[in-house]
Amino acid sequence: MENDKEYQVQVKNLNKSFGDNKVLVNLNLNFEKNKITVVTGPSGCGKTTLLNIISGIEKPDSGEVILKDHSISFIFQEDRLIPDLTVYKNIEFVLKSTLTPLESKPITEKYLELVKLMEAKDKYPEQLSGGMKRRVAVARAFAYRSDLLIMDEPFKGLDDKLKKEIVDEFLRIYNQDKRTVILVTHDMDEAVFLGDTIIDLNCNKK
Amino acid sequence: MKTSITQVSKKAFKKLSIIMFWIMIWELGSLFIHNVILLPSPVEVIQVLSKLVLEQYFWLCVFSSIARVIIGLVISIGLGVVVGIIAGLNKYVEEILTPFLVTIKSTPIMSIIILALVWFKSTNVAIFTAILICFPVIYTNVLQGIKAVDVQLLQMSALYKVKRKYIIRDIYIPSIKHYIISGVLMCLGLAWKVSVTSEVLATPKYSIGLNLLNSKAMLETSELFAWTVVVVLLSFGFESLFKYYVKKTDRLSAE
Repeated sequence: MENDKEYQVQVKNLNKSFGDNKVLVNLNLNFEKNKITVVTGPSGCGKTTLLNIISGIEKPDSGEVILKDHSISFIFQEDRLIPDLTVYKNIEFVLKSTLTPLESKPITEKYLELVKLMEAKDKYPEQLSGGMKRRVAVARAFAYRSDLLIMDEPFKGLDDKLKKEIVDEFLRIYNQDKRTVILVTHDMDEAVFLGDTIIDLNCNKK
Repeated sequence: MKTSITQVSKKAFKKLSIIMFWIMIWELGSLFIHNVILLPSPVEVIQVLSKLVLEQYFWLCVFSSIARVIIGLVISIGLGVVVGIIAGLNKYVEEILTPFLVTIKSTPIMSIIILALVWFKSTNVAIFTAILICFPVIYTNVLQGIKAVDVQLLQMSALYKVKRKYIIRDIYIPSIKHYIISGVLMCLGLAWKVSVTSEVLATPKYSIGLNLLNSKAMLETSELFAWTVVVVLLSFGFESLFKYYVKKTDRLSAE
């Protein structure tokens, strides 16, 4: 049965240390295609490091990451919106290297509609609330053509009502536009609610 | 609307009062010294200035000096921004340029002017010195701005495989904008000081510097003061114009 599964990402014998602190030790993981895999565990267990290595932001000390496709979208812990660009231009920013403005327009507008931010498209990040900024980051990640979506505690710091709203929006978009999702969270309820698979990165190995 | 007009006129009145206060101090100083060669009164200076402005030669000198300052500034800003961006993005370029920049920064202005006198025509000495003095200021500011760019935004751009030209245009340029503005503001005053000093030594035919030198030689202190007032006013005018331009473009981009 295991062999029937198609993996988007495979992590093999991954090791990473910061000084004397061994964060990842001989880690082996598989992330199934078009499923949501939630990575959970206590702080300092290397969850963000794992995501950074998968996305190429950081290099591992040893081991390898096998990606089926190299296009990745990332929803960071922070919104990482460009302060001098409007909401629309922030989304268009990740598209314009591969698409013309004419091609990127319907895509940008589609995801702005999905996150209900069409009316705020000409606003700048400083004019948005925390929840609106998160939604722009979600829209940007989905608008970018990728098979893998990495989310690093995307709902952290949001109040329950807002979190529910954004989680619902995320699921709605995900169901329309399926892709492999790796989601890191501390929150077990969130993990159980969203995850097709849950991986617990416990720190016992260290 | 009424409130804002009142506020503007209050502000203008305050500024005018401060200027009047310093002119009064000057007047009192000249009354106290009572020697027109050492310190002429503001009235005498204004009288000389009002005679000067009627002469065509005055305007030829003023516009020639303005042209030198503008050319020097434009070249310094252009060069400073371009080289600053390149060095900010490439550590090797920065390292290669560091000794050159350190040398220029620590070389006395007089040495630069004297060297320029050997190398260039008298009309171009002021331009060259202005470039050599202002370029490092702009370059250093741009470099600082590039280094202060949000690394997280750069990581995000790399992850989404955004082309370098868009990263420079949408992340680097807006981020270094304020550093460029403060560099230019510093250079506006500096360029006038350096240019006029160079003109004093290079004595191009039409220049404010030559007139300062002649006034000194003839012990015409009132004229010396009059030409100095012209330089101060021009420098202030340049600064005000630039600030107005920055404010206007900021307002336009906000709209």
